[in-house]
Amino acid sequence: MKKVLLIAALLSIVNCQLSIGFAQKLTGRDVIQKVKDRPDGDTRYGEMELTLRKKNGTTRQRKVTSWAMDEGKDTKKMMFFTYPGDVKGTGFLTWDYDQIGKEDAKWLYLPAMKKTRRISGSSSKTDYFMGTDFTYDDMGSRHVDEDKHQLLREEVKNGHKCWVVESVPVDKHEIYSRKVSWIRQDCLIAAHVEYYDKLNKLHRVLTISDVKQVQGFWTIQKMEMKNVQTEHSTTIVVKNSQYNVKVDKSLFTVAKLEKGL
Amino acid sequence: MNPRPALAQDEDSLRVGVKGFVDTYHAVRTESPNDWMSSRTRVRGEVTLEKGHTGAFVSANLVYNAILKDRTGFQLREAYAYYSDEHWDLRAGRQIIAWGVADGLRLTDIISPMDYTEFLAQDYDDIRIPVGGLRLRYSREKWSFEAVAIPVSSFFELPTDDKNPWSVGPIPIGDEPSHRLCNMEYGGRLSFFLSGIDFSLSALHTWNKMPVVCAGMGQYRRMSMLGADCSLPLGRFVLRGEVAEYLDELQPNEESSIVNYPLSTRAAASNALLGIDWYAGNDWSLSAQYAHKYVASGDHRNTGLATFRISKDLLRNTLALQSFAYIDVTNGGIYNRLSADYALNDQLHATLGYDFFHADRGSFMVYDNNSEVFVKLKYSF
Repeated sequence: MKKVLLIAALLSIVNCQLSIGFAQKLTGRDVIQKVKDRPDGDTRYGEMELTLRKKNGTTRQRKVTSWAMDEGKDTKKMMFFTYPGDVKGTGFLTWDYDQIGKEDAKWLYLPAMKKTRRISGSSSKTDYFMGTDFTYDDMGSRHVDEDKHQLLREEVKNGHKCWVVESVPVDKHEIYSRKVSWIRQDCLIAAHVEYYDKLNKLHRVLTISDVKQVQGFWTIQKMEMKNVQTEHSTTIVVKNSQYNVKVDKSLFTVAKLEKGL
Repeated sequence: MNPRPALAQDEDSLRVGVKGFVDTYHAVRTESPNDWMSSRTRVRGEVTLEKGHTGAFVSANLVYNAILKDRTGFQLREAYAYYSDEHWDLRAGRQIIAWGVADGLRLTDIISPMDYTEFLAQDYDDIRIPVGGLRLRYSREKWSFEAVAIPVSSFFELPTDDKNPWSVGPIPIGDEPSHRLCNMEYGGRLSFFLSGIDFSLSALHTWNKMPVVCAGMGQYRRMSMLGADCSLPLGRFVLRGEVAEYLDELQPNEESSIVNYPLSTRAAASNALLGIDWYAGNDWSLSAQYAHKYVASGDHRNTGLATFRISKDLLRNTLALQSFAYIDVTNGGIYNRLSADYALNDQLHATLGYDFFHADRGSFMVYDNNSEVFVKLKYSF
């Protein structure tokens, strides 16, 4: 009997250790959640220069200034175009809701018309942002559960130890069938992301080549999205990043959108 | 509050912002006698000066117009001083004030009148005439209230010179209201911006700024407007609605004569608009609107005007194709502007377009043979 009890006790310990081990095993969702939860201050400011490069080498440029503020799990963003001249002063105000199914609130201000338009909160996610290789979805914060994630392996990429996670969109209307992300373990920022089209052919590749700490927060300084099928690419250089800047929620209003920079 | 991080600037420093463009626009009639309808070149400059919470904005044109010689010269558009902090925004001076949610139609948006010197065959922002006045806005996170006071009103500019291809005919226009305190315009608008809907309520004591022909002469009279508008995003669609009740609006009276001029007809007019925008994806967008006006008296009590817009961006947003149509539902007329705008580089855009007019009756009839092709080159800085 003692022997039986001893075996039962050992089994329960092994079981317990097994279950502890299973609980501690990182999942793909855990990794993506870590990325989403990466500290980035309560408010943020940044200036972006977007350079669009054609296959033949000709370039076009866009410049954007933006502010963001977290309100619980939701985020409010204000963004103004500062270049080129024909779109200078055009502003976007977005209230991004974390809750799945709750439509984001978006307003567009066109200075030539002196009018703000309420625009659809769900339409532009899969459209490309101002002719770049980034979609509006790429530029925003995608909800973790909009994709099914699987941790494939760990490996070193560009000198950084990474988790490799495959994400498959739940909504089949997304423009990619799956994406594979190499997430740096030191800073929880992707070093490399591959997007596959509906035919499962490699479509776009994101390379984040310059990451630095600003005010203690890991910050992307430079990234490039390349469409490997058309060889068109877009490079984003982020300048003057600042965190916990002195803005309050009165900035993220239609009145301030119309006031402009 | 200045919308910049504290580290990015010195609050007490003077900030100067400059932008503008040079453009040249030429249009030729596609019907006999195939004459030039427009030929103008201009420089637009816009300067903003700001220090702390206060600032000033000036926008002006320098124009050479080869067809309408009296339009050549310096044109001051907006010039106002402002104060802006976290919640208050005060603008004093010559400014464009836009209300409502309608696109290219005016229901509650009746403060800044329109310049019809070349009818609607100009950029829409060029058509608006600024007004000299005071606008005070108080805003919170989800609502704002604005009050406007316009001591001296501005009115529509209608071309009556028969040398202008866009002339509406030799209509005598009566005197504008005298510059007296009692003729001041004033009103307010309360707006709400919520996660699922925007809506506004507005009221304005104003004038009919488009002259109404009574006794053979264009006239202006006092009227009041009570209005409301809303925008409702639904997935890829946005529904827009706007209503405006014009109290005591002056009505055209073709049968009256100069003798009975004081007996000009005034009546309540109800205006309602329903619009839908479809953000279809892949840089397609479509928009349709219908506006109906009902006048409580007279022979022509019901009139309807519709618009339809379809646009598509191509070649990574460097080529924008658009068709925008005004449809006179009451009289069967149409004005459609078809355009293709190509960005030659970051600064330079070339536009080619075609304005089509067709009407046997109604307000578009006077332009029935004004269909034209146009070309525009625009350099922005």
